[in-house]
Amino acid sequence: MDYDMLVVGSGIGGMESALKLGDMGYKVLMVEKEPSVGGKMILLSKVFPTLDCASCISTPKMAASIHHPNVTAMVYSEVEQIEKKAEGKFQIKIRKKPTFVNSSTCTGCRQCEMVCNVAVPDQYNSDMVSRRAAYIAFPQAVPKKAVIEKQGSSPCYHTCPAGIKAHGYIALVRAGKYEEAYELVQETTPLVGSLGRACYAPCEGECSRYEIEGSLPIRKLKRFIADKYYAGNAEPKAVVRVEPNGKKVAIAGSGPAGLTAAFHLARQGYGVKIFEAEKQPGGMLRLAIPSFRLPREVVERDIKNVTVLGVEIETGVRVENIGDLQQQGFDAVFLATGTQGTRKMNVDGEDLDGVVSSLEFLRNVNLGKELSLKDKTVIVVGGGNVAIDSARVAVRLGAKKVIVQYRRSREEMPAHHWEIEGAEKEGVEFQYLTAPVKFNGKGGKLAGAVSIRMELGGADAGGRRKPVPVEGSDYVTKADMVIIAVGLAPDTKNFGSTIKLNMNETISVDPETLQTDIPYVFAGGDVVTGSSMIVNAVGQGRRAAFFINRYLTGQDLKGEEYDYRLPAVDKQQVIDRQQQYSVLPPVENKEVWHEKVSDFREIEPPLTEEEARYSAGRCLDCGVCSECSQCISECPANAIDMSMKEEKLEVEVNSVIVSTGFKLFPADAKPQYGYGKHKNVITGMQMDRLLAPTRPYNTVLRPGDGKVPDNIAYILCTGSRDQTVNNQLCSRVCCMYSVKQNQLIMGALPLADVTVYYIDIRAFSKGYDEFYEQARGMGANFVKGRVARVEEVEDGNLALYYEDIDNGGKVTRAEHDLVVLSVGLLPNTEVFDFFAGEQLEADEFQFVREVDEDINPGRTSIEGVFVAGTASGARDIPDSILHAGSAAAQAAAYVERTRMQQ
Amino acid sequence: MSDRRIGVYICHCGGNISDYVDVDRVRKAVEGEGGVAVAKTAMFACSDATQQEMASDIQEQHLDGLVVASCSPKLHLHTFRDVARRAGLNPFQYTQVNVREQCSWAHTDDREGATDKAIRLVRGAIARTALTEPLEPIIIETVPRVLVVGAGISGLRAAIGLADLGISVYLVEKSPLAGGWIGKLGKMYPHGKDGKSLIAQLINELKKRENITLYTNAEIAEKSGSIGNFDVNLRVRGQEDTTISVNVGSIIVATGFDAYQPEEEEFGFGLDGVLTLPQFKELLDSSAGRPVFNGREIKNVAYIYCVGSRQQPEVENANRYCSRYCCNAAVHASIIALEKNPGMHQYHLYRDMRTYGKFELMYSQAREMGSYFLKFADDGPPVVERGYDGKLQVSLKDLLTFGEEIEIKADVVVLVTGMVPRKSPELVDVLKLPLGRDRFFNEIHPKLRPVETMVDGVYICGSCQGPKNSIESVASALSAVTQSASILKKGYVDLEPLIASVHQDLCNGCGECVATCPYAAIEMEQQQGRSVAAINRALCKGCGGCVPLCPANAIDLKGYTDAQVRSMIDALLKETCQNE
Repeated sequence: MDYDMLVVGSGIGGMESALKLGDMGYKVLMVEKEPSVGGKMILLSKVFPTLDCASCISTPKMAASIHHPNVTAMVYSEVEQIEKKAEGKFQIKIRKKPTFVNSSTCTGCRQCEMVCNVAVPDQYNSDMVSRRAAYIAFPQAVPKKAVIEKQGSSPCYHTCPAGIKAHGYIALVRAGKYEEAYELVQETTPLVGSLGRACYAPCEGECSRYEIEGSLPIRKLKRFIADKYYAGNAEPKAVVRVEPNGKKVAIAGSGPAGLTAAFHLARQGYGVKIFEAEKQPGGMLRLAIPSFRLPREVVERDIKNVTVLGVEIETGVRVENIGDLQQQGFDAVFLATGTQGTRKMNVDGEDLDGVVSSLEFLRNVNLGKELSLKDKTVIVVGGGNVAIDSARVAVRLGAKKVIVQYRRSREEMPAHHWEIEGAEKEGVEFQYLTAPVKFNGKGGKLAGAVSIRMELGGADAGGRRKPVPVEGSDYVTKADMVIIAVGLAPDTKNFGSTIKLNMNETISVDPETLQTDIPYVFAGGDVVTGSSMIVNAVGQGRRAAFFINRYLTGQDLKGEEYDYRLPAVDKQQVIDRQQQYSVLPPVENKEVWHEKVSDFREIEPPLTEEEARYSAGRCLDCGVCSECSQCISECPANAIDMSMKEEKLEVEVNSVIVSTGFKLFPADAKPQYGYGKHKNVITGMQMDRLLAPTRPYNTVLRPGDGKVPDNIAYILCTGSRDQTVNNQLCSRVCCMYSVKQNQLIMGALPLADVTVYYIDIRAFSKGYDEFYEQARGMGANFVKGRVARVEEVEDGNLALYYEDIDNGGKVTRAEHDLVVLSVGLLPNTEVFDFFAGEQLEADEFQFVREVDEDINPGRTSIEGVFVAGTASGARDIPDSILHAGSAAAQAAAYVERTRMQQ
Repeated sequence: MSDRRIGVYICHCGGNISDYVDVDRVRKAVEGEGGVAVAKTAMFACSDATQQEMASDIQEQHLDGLVVASCSPKLHLHTFRDVARRAGLNPFQYTQVNVREQCSWAHTDDREGATDKAIRLVRGAIARTALTEPLEPIIIETVPRVLVVGAGISGLRAAIGLADLGISVYLVEKSPLAGGWIGKLGKMYPHGKDGKSLIAQLINELKKRENITLYTNAEIAEKSGSIGNFDVNLRVRGQEDTTISVNVGSIIVATGFDAYQPEEEEFGFGLDGVLTLPQFKELLDSSAGRPVFNGREIKNVAYIYCVGSRQQPEVENANRYCSRYCCNAAVHASIIALEKNPGMHQYHLYRDMRTYGKFELMYSQAREMGSYFLKFADDGPPVVERGYDGKLQVSLKDLLTFGEEIEIKADVVVLVTGMVPRKSPELVDVLKLPLGRDRFFNEIHPKLRPVETMVDGVYICGSCQGPKNSIESVASALSAVTQSASILKKGYVDLEPLIASVHQDLCNGCGECVATCPYAAIEMEQQQGRSVAAINRALCKGCGGCVPLCPANAIDLKGYTDAQVRSMIDALLKETCQNE
């Protein structure tokens, strides 16, 4: 679709141009970056000098601009490029930002806004109050459709290997919606309780608060919601099972990958059966992780989330032959058998009685085998979490002494520091830069270990410094047991003949789809990735379920994106966005310490509800939308679409009108006036919002304490006619909007005094001087003199120091309870970035330059491109409208002329 | 009881109405009125969402009448008529009730009373709506030609702008030469362009366009017809006056301003050396070297600002308004003077320096070049006298030096005179253009309809509308071009069908109505051998002046029939009558 004109920006100037050109019969495309047309004018209270409501003037034009048969208004869209082509035409590139709300079905009912759990500063109320991440810009918005703001994925969510909506459940906890939070996590995985305890929480390392005062306890929050939910729901709630689709999937292995895959497949109607080699399901959750970290009941309760869906788990069956499964009628197979093998050290004495592998040791303990290490000395070899777990289990079994020998230093140790610290507190001795070279035995039974000291040499292929034995440093330690925890490996011997394996015996798969070289066989989890984290395996299980479903429904495996997460938001941007960053220290980590641990009671105490709410309240809402999904379930029109993507489009137009408006002077750039520091110093725009019919507080009050002000000061020329802020121009509108506000305030607060500190009152246009005289007649006090500085005094009142020109020119102090800074207008320089090829020229103040203003106001340096309104200089509304009319006349003439020439 | 199905919507207008009128009580009071099928309130009735809600109510509830109680119909009559039209309801079955300007804003101190009044007003509108019948707009084909009155910079630019859009133009200039004020000027602010050259450039462009006809020494004599199709007679002066008739779709008035002419002795006017700003500008423009007055080099100049503008209310026929261009023009003149003679001393006696926007730079430049600025009080104007030494002497209390009495000896005193409305009674007479309180031509609304007047199809631009500088005048001229073209390029206009109609069987042919119609819209015609009145639909404005005069009650105003007005009065008074 091509157009006669492109109008960039839909403020009063843009709408005026577009509507008039539409009336003339031209096809107009109007592009607006905000979710609503209307620009800044619609946000104003009333407008001078007629005191019409800004809404009354704007809304008919706004409504007309989306109903006009010749005008297409494209909101929430940005012009990316304007390039002039041959024959005087322009090629336009536009980016339509995703609103995540289907605008054709949205009814503007605001249900999503009511239920949204993220609050951010409301830019349409000058940041004085907050709005939601799902929002309608303002009550008179046109079109009245919700948008959901996503600045990107929140880093916690983005980094989660399983794609668990961490920000989402945090936001729900913050709102006290614990059950909804639980259900949100369970959207992704059934293992809510297990992950709440045993996940290594890579999210916490990415938390934007991490580098400042410490991360949110994201994992513990998950445990909090799981505990809360499980306490009330010992059994899963009855689910309405999906109509079986008649297809069956076999899963080998009931660890986190297998359980998660089973869960997702069952929810889609597949008949799922899990085969588990051990006697009990749960894989590593049950076999490897000691119960003082992850109680058995929690694992069992998590597994019920899967079995309630009809998933059958057959234990004690090892899958030996994949082909058999196919013959049993399974349409697809998912191999998730984990890493059941342990690496060997290959030293003498490794097969002595008393030398055990970590996994064997932990499995025996976890499966309830009686074992006492009373008065025994145990050496654990290795530096990973499994090694630490083994050591801490040994302590609990009564060992007299537990020594961990690790061949590198503590810095290199792969185990998490809090695990090491926990072990140290329980009395485990760490011998760093040490490794056994031989185990001595007596009668086939272990007697001790010969260890050698190491030094760190050069970096190895993985970048870690390689330990080098120190000649002659060997020594003997007497030991009753050695636990070898130097790594886990998959046990894939059975599959080797049927499917392709990698060199390290992991199964070879397409990393995106997890499909093996046999199309109906998929594999995932540790058996593919090698020993890893639970949450990785959960992610693999979820991914496998997604692609198995595509495979079994005959869809292309490639092409569809499994992961629609946006790129992670920039953390600096998140910090910069905060109006006021309050340092909120994290809740201290606590473990329950006994003098001597001797049982397997859980060591980590749960967060109290208060701690959980406080912790969730620390969230900075990095990505803005938390993806908590509440709006999705609430929307009566089913209009929410979280997978919406931005769209790019190109159109050709014959002429361009830029009406990109202005930026307000940032009041904090004049620090003498204390904006941003003194709470009761506000800007003129904020006062306009306080006075508007859609005002945030329903009255004028000062932000510091909510007091209704009774002695208000205006400081004119804030940021205008001021060399110190590099703006010597007069902003044309500030005198008059201040005079207008004076009148409105005197109407709203009849007892309030209003004082205006000014240099010159520039009431220059039709009816303006009369309007100014009217304000004086109503009692506004005009004081000639520039204010030097504003200081805060007691009660949040403000002292102004100014040159009192009318009364002898002394520097005088006056006290007020609210100060309004009449900030001026600055150029919006974004417009210059649009142009490719021929560049749009700026004037010396960075407004769009009008090259022939005397005869052709609105003509720019590019023939065929015109400027309307404040984009070329400060203007009030009537002048902007006339200027827009001028631009429209010339754009039409240009189009006629280029048509004639063709 | 009415069998109509009327939808009634009562607007909060944010709080503009609902702060002073209990809109829910209004809704409850009227929802049971005869014929009311839907009664709702809305935060902003004009918002797109409410518009859509109304449209779907009209369709789903099969409404055959619509009432919106909100603001003045000046703002939103067309908005809601469009809603009706979009939803398939005849737009003339819509009634707007003004419960804001005429109710909530007028009774901010009496919520109960305002609410009662709003109820009555809405009831009246419901009664009127119940008697509405579908009406079709009168469609007038437009002719693609425009008459532009005045060939100053605005008129010239408007003519060229229209011609470029394929619209033919008759350009009429009263004086012998096109060009107006700008055609006499040298260097102008802010870009330093020469006024004479700009006009020459425009006249050159004019000549290139075949579809512009310029008549100088000409003015409007008569006008008839209406928007889209006016017949205008032009009187062209010559040895013998000739009359030229033109047929145009719209008229753009760009007749400019007059410079304020000071009263004798006002700030010493009449003393030798006391000049108006235009006189001084002409002196500067004509000085090749150092400016000279009466044969002597001008060494000291005093400018007195706001002469003829921002006058105190005591002054007879005071010009209360600010003339907008003069601060800039005076500062600019002083810069030119200093360029011509850097040794000249310049004293600016002002009230507020209104060098708005980018013109601030000229003010800075003038100060940097050595101009002195002194501020006098609104009620303490400077006094200009001839001193004992024969020189002009200006004395004032300067507020910037805290009331110090200052005397300035000046060779020339420049009275910075403002703009006043040009006296053109014939235009007011022929075109019936309304004047504002500043006596300039008045637009309907400075933001909604900034170049339109109460006379459909007649537009105003430039400084006939109020003080403007040259650039601003050109921008408004092009805006008037846009407005004209948006009507004429469509090829037709819809006129309101709310006009008089004659029941010819009742008409007794007395002809009283013909004599009273101010628009010459009624003629007598022969019907079945009788002479009866007939309405010219294109000319009738629906003023209703003929209705009460008709002795036979044979004339009704569509949309405001006697029956409708009577029912409105009954509805308005309903409760009062019952109470008595």
